[in-house]
Amino acid sequence: MLQHADPVVGFGLVAFSLLLFVYYTLWIIVLPFIDSDHGIHQYFLPREYAVIIPMVAGLLLLLFIGIFITVVMWKSRKPAKKLD
Amino acid sequence: MTKLGQWLCGLALLGSAWAALALAPPGLRLPAPCRQALLPLPVYLLVAFGCYSLATVGYRLATFNDCEEAAAELQEHISAARADLRRRGLRF
Repeated sequence: MLQHADPVVGFGLVAFSLLLFVYYTLWIIVLPFIDSDHGIHQYFLPREYAVIIPMVAGLLLLLFIGIFITVVMWKSRKPAKKLD
Repeated sequence: MTKLGQWLCGLALLGSAWAALALAPPGLRLPAPCRQALLPLPVYLLVAFGCYSLATVGYRLATFNDCEEAAAELQEHISAARADLRRRGLRF
């Protein structure tokens, strides 16, 4: 059953990353060249967030990867042998 | 030179070019929008690379084909091997 969801998930990922790329490109590269009284600026947060949000997301990603590795290593400990 | 060395040299080159242009050395006057767009460029390239990776993973996931005949053939082989081993006395 899961193999019927594969193309949906796959193309969903493609669409999401395309959207994200277009929005981020507009935000960082195109917006400085547009006059500040144009209506398009209302759809974008202040420019500091364009750096803060990816950094925070990257740190969260590293945090989750670290927690995952810790949990996996914790679970795969061998029980300590008693030495006489 | 190793591949790591090459990558590090390339990164150092691009990084110094970016620093030279973006960190406002005296005597260099770029138009203000250019400098505003140039400053977050490393973060932008990282996010763009992340988007490209995600899109590639999604695309390969979507277009990965099942091989129905190979799967059926494999199941046949498995049951034939099972019957053979059972006949030879291996119990499972």
